[in-house]
Amino acid sequence: MNKTLYKTNIKANWGIFAFIFGMLMIYVSTSIAMFNPENADAMKAMFDMMPEGMIKAFGFTGLGTELTGYLAGYLYGFILIVFPLIYTALIANKMIAGHVDNGSMAYLLATPNTRKRVAGTQAIFLASTSALLIVIITGIIILMSAAVFPGHLEIPSFLLLNLVTLLLLVAVGGIGFLASCIFSDKKYSLAVGAGIPVLFVLFKMLADISEKVEFFRYFSIYSLLDAHRILEDVPYALIVGGSLLALSIVLYIAGIVIFNRKSLAI
Amino acid sequence: MIDVKNLTHIYRSGKGIFDVSFNVKQGEVFGYLGPNGAGKTTTIRGLMGFTNAKSGSAVINGLDCRQDAADLQKIIGYLPGEMNMLDYMSGNEFIKFMSDMRNLKDTKRRDMLIERFELETEGKIKKMSKGMKQKLGVIVAFMHDPDVYILDEPTSGLDPLMQSVFLDLILEEKKRGKTILMSSHIFEEVQKVCDRVGIIKEGRIVTIRDISELASAKARSFTVEVGGAKDIETIESSGFDSRIVDENTIRISASYPFNEFYQLLSKCDVKSLKVDILTLESMFMKYYRQEDDSNE
Repeated sequence: MNKTLYKTNIKANWGIFAFIFGMLMIYVSTSIAMFNPENADAMKAMFDMMPEGMIKAFGFTGLGTELTGYLAGYLYGFILIVFPLIYTALIANKMIAGHVDNGSMAYLLATPNTRKRVAGTQAIFLASTSALLIVIITGIIILMSAAVFPGHLEIPSFLLLNLVTLLLLVAVGGIGFLASCIFSDKKYSLAVGAGIPVLFVLFKMLADISEKVEFFRYFSIYSLLDAHRILEDVPYALIVGGSLLALSIVLYIAGIVIFNRKSLAI
Repeated sequence: MIDVKNLTHIYRSGKGIFDVSFNVKQGEVFGYLGPNGAGKTTTIRGLMGFTNAKSGSAVINGLDCRQDAADLQKIIGYLPGEMNMLDYMSGNEFIKFMSDMRNLKDTKRRDMLIERFELETEGKIKKMSKGMKQKLGVIVAFMHDPDVYILDEPTSGLDPLMQSVFLDLILEEKKRGKTILMSSHIFEEVQKVCDRVGIIKEGRIVTIRDISELASAKARSFTVEVGGAKDIETIESSGFDSRIVDENTIRISASYPFNEFYQLLSKCDVKSLKVDILTLESMFMKYYRQEDDSNE
């Protein structure tokens, strides 16, 4: 880890972080505001008017009269997948491939820092800020829920859901990071590093729409984020979390090793 | 100090460098000459440990340039051929960033360099002119007082005044015993500061010469403008090595004693006569011509 490089990353990327955070805030606050335990029927009626496939595709399923389940269905099926994905894809692409493509990597490597150290710092920046995004959002949801509907949120299971969401995001970031280390052209890095997770999202949406194409769920990492099951099934959540953590370690280390061995035209 | 042995690096396009060997002794300034695309930057990438050579080795101060790249950067000052900095930063921020990346605390030398090169450190790098970026690159390469300099076309983009400030700096560093490798395609500057020069053409070293050898060379080339085709004919049939530049201008190589040469000129209607002092250039062109002739 190189502190100077980490700090520079903060300066260069806080804008993207702030933008994604802002988008999430809009959805999070409106979704909490929209929740009304007494008015659940009206909510249900609204969703009944929308085509069923569309509701399922966006993961708005099982919107019960109970806040935790409502948030799990409303936010963790689509919004807390897609916006953080945009963040990790953009940042991962910039971390390595961006510097290699525009040549600024030459300056980073012209200092007494090994490639492993440079790439390791970039990996840590990506993973830690992705995690921070989820931590802040989790904190805000808990605070807002406590303010508007005190006592409604089941905090322990909700924290577990967010832990899995966080680990999933870090793993998805790992896909982007690996692509960033493999490709010297940032177009290819972005196409692969963002393309694979986007395909995962599409597969999950497809699988949710109809039972006929339900098999698509086996091709998507996002199927692991089964929000309702995580809320109820602690061992399942822990196994999923553990697997995602292991996957992340493999992805980031593979990226660093590949970058270390690579021939750079900078 | 710098030892390159049979270094070969081939790009997918088939271009690259082939079997490049040379060394630079401590306290020596080595000029690395060649046109664009000849392989200068590719060699330098090898010295910086950016590329994986297909074969051969590059060693600086006994350390392998690829394996020990990070350790070597402590004693290397590198100026890339292209100024692709972190361009969202200001000049000041970039210098501070590079100092911190090097764990460099002493700012005396960098302040001296900023003053000497009249660098405006306030503006964003993105908005800087090419020359200003080049100056910034020079300061970043020199500020930690390295033992070895690897400079890829260091004067490109600098105005004549700054070129001279830079060349003076090189001569000073040489006096202090620093080892310098600089690529260039400007003969004058190479002749002014380098001890030896290596010429690379299409990925292969074609010659390595001492500059002192060139300076003492008795052969000179003269560019002569004459009255007409008849004069050109006279010169061409005279037995002097000559080459037509355009319709009425011809370049003639002659060596001491020059009597015979003047006698030849007295037979012609000479409109102008210019002595080509750039002997390095004429030598350089000679190596290129050989290649051109074989292509024809």
